[in-house]
Amino acid sequence: MEAQEFIESGILEAHLLGLANKEEQDLVKQMIEENQGLADYLVDIEMDITRHFNGSAVSPPVGLREIIHLRSREFRQKEKHSFKQQPAEEDRRYLDVEVNDTHMKVHKFWRPAFIAVFILSKIFLIAGLYYYFKTVNQEQEIQKLKTEIQQVK
Amino acid sequence: MNELEPIRNGVDRQTLAKHENMTSLEVYDKYGAMAYGIILQILPQVHLAQEVLVSVFSSPQLKACNSYPFSFAACIIKLARAQAVEAKRKLMAIAPSSEHFPAAEASPEQIFELSFRQGYTPEEVAGKLNISKSEVLRSFHEYFKLYRNA
Repeated sequence: MEAQEFIESGILEAHLLGLANKEEQDLVKQMIEENQGLADYLVDIEMDITRHFNGSAVSPPVGLREIIHLRSREFRQKEKHSFKQQPAEEDRRYLDVEVNDTHMKVHKFWRPAFIAVFILSKIFLIAGLYYYFKTVNQEQEIQKLKTEIQQVK
Repeated sequence: MNELEPIRNGVDRQTLAKHENMTSLEVYDKYGAMAYGIILQILPQVHLAQEVLVSVFSSPQLKACNSYPFSFAACIIKLARAQAVEAKRKLMAIAPSSEHFPAAEASPEQIFELSFRQGYTPEEVAGKLNISKSEVLRSFHEYFKLYRNA
């Protein structure tokens, strides 16, 4: 398509006004890349369109500026928040790794607890053995005394 | 005159093509009145128009205008129109109005009115006015040519 023909087709204006479809947008990009004159012309149309709409500009109420300020600040805060959350989500992906480890981790407080249980079990074992042998010894002693009493009789 | 010859309208090209990373408020101060004018043309209901204006200048799409290949003003025009047309469509869905189109006289002004202000696509305008799509697009060129020469 010739440059002049392309200009008269109105595709450039449609593109700038947001009325062009994808095909036409691609055609505009391609034609501008190929022809510097068209790029200059496009700037001129932009100026015309801007002047046209500036001619019908209406001053908005003063309060709207403050509302826009507050809304855009809210949006920025949301954006920051989502930016902070993003790495955490990425990290979560790395937790799903399969590990062939047979060991398990426990809290370090279990260590003194296990030691205490071990020592107490030893104390009870020794005490148990002590009282067992003591009882056996006492029984033997009683038995011995009984036989002595019978012999005396 | 060959239209490829540059037309100087007393507007500095450099400032038009320049892309600064402006904040929403700076953009609003610069283009707010223009955008409000565009929105009111599409959506004459003042309260709705103000709601759309706020959404244009606080929307995340405004940030994209910093990397828009053409001028910032063109990006604002596109954005303001798109949001106003969307709001108008929602409004029409709730309260449809019976608009009819005069079959004859497909003037550039009328075509511009239908596609830019009424929110119809060039294909829809072509169908409604019984003309080809290329004629609709050509009318945009004619419309701004008439404006330039006025």
